Amino acid sequence: MKKFILAGFLALSSFAAHAQYEQVNLTVFGMDCAPCAHAIHVSMKGIPGVSTVDVDLNTGLVTIKLASVNNASMRQFNQAVEKNGFTHKDAEIVAKGKLTGTVGAFFLEVSGTQDRYALSPATTAADLTSLLGKTVTVTGVVPQSAKGKVSDTLRYKTITEAR
Amino acid sequence: MKSHLILACALALPWSAWASDHGPVFSYATPVNSQGEVSFDTGIFGRGGSAGTQLSTGSGFGYGVTPHLTLTFLLPATFGSGSLAESRMMAGGEWSAGASWRFLHSVTSVGKRIESTASLGIVAPGPQQDSGVLGSLHRAPGVAGTLATGLASRSQYLWAGAGYTRFAEASNDRRPDTLSWSGVYGYRPTKLRRGYDQWDYRGFAELTGEHTGNVRTAGAILPNSATTSIWLGPSVLAIFKNIAISGGAQAPIFRDASGSIYGREHIRFAINFSYLKYSSHASAH
Repeated sequence: MKKFILAGFLALSSFAAHAQYEQVNLTVFGMDCAPCAHAIHVSMKGIPGVSTVDVDLNTGLVTIKLASVNNASMRQFNQAVEKNGFTHKDAEIVAKGKLTGTVGAFFLEVSGTQDRYALSPATTAADLTSLLGKTVTVTGVVPQSAKGKVSDTLRYKTITEAR
Repeated sequence: MKSHLILACALALPWSAWASDHGPVFSYATPVNSQGEVSFDTGIFGRGGSAGTQLSTGSGFGYGVTPHLTLTFLLPATFGSGSLAESRMMAGGEWSAGASWRFLHSVTSVGKRIESTASLGIVAPGPQQDSGVLGSLHRAPGVAGTLATGLASRSQYLWAGAGYTRFAEASNDRRPDTLSWSGVYGYRPTKLRRGYDQWDYRGFAELTGEHTGNVRTAGAILPNSATTSIWLGPSVLAIFKNIAISGGAQAPIFRDASGSIYGREHIRFAINFSYLKYSSHASAH
């Protein structure tokens, strides 16, 4: 019985770990001083699933690393910036999710969240047909969005089948 | 005197210096609290002149309702017996409560923003009577408004602001209306533009000025009771994460005040401590 419970737990953990953000590098405009950075740090750490946060005041780069199991969403990252009176710009992400859509119109669905991105190549387009319906790891850039919004596009750099 | 100082340290800072946790200690500036942020300021403001010395403190609290709207509240205290002119740039013995609205917020690049903030509040007489000419007046509440605009960046800061306070009449007495203004330049040297987990320092040159109208007592204007003064001096702000300490001093570069009524005020100084409690509350998906 214990083996079944353990196997079930591992299976669930494995499923959850296959569909989420692993790292988000978010550029933030407007932070001029230490309390600004500290406020961002506190707000990001308040998002369940965030494990480490690093803020570089001189580049405006906020580096967020997430736990292996999480359901944090891009909207939460953006709101953590907005509530402190700053502006979020492009975000470089590493995320796992399910590749859906049709040939020529691919989407990444980050399950555990409502985040769904239309994929467009950052440079040259890759043939993604063979990955349709599979869980993939994507690196790319989520472009800046208006306040309160999340971009529906992800400019991917690499897409590989998740192990 | 010692007990006064200890009590003063236990209390806190004036309304006009609400932005001190992020900015200058004497002048008007634009920063407001983050959404959900609670700020607490405590410090001492001193004024010294030929007619005596006055120390002022207040316990200042702020709460960020939204990223651009902050509610403020000040519990004041004054000590000393100086016969000094009305001032809204320096703390007095009034309670005050109000709101600051950052109505313009333009983020132009990494570390840089241009913004404007307006504040409006009510001012009510505190439990302590002023000293000197103002101490003999019946006191009534008033309204105070300020407007500040400027630029904040990793290297430089520049703010300009102005404020106006008007008191109501009480038993044919009325405290003078006060028009105040300030300009401040701040600089953070290259070597000090470092990580947020280290102390963050910057220096300011603060220029402040005030014009106070005539004092009205027993239904009559007190002759020669209007004043105008301009002050200039340096201040330093040091911040570590959510704790800030600032201090500065100013000397007069222009004074037009009756020596027989107010004496000659020759120094102003301030020391302030701030604690900022940021909200870690995360929104749902």
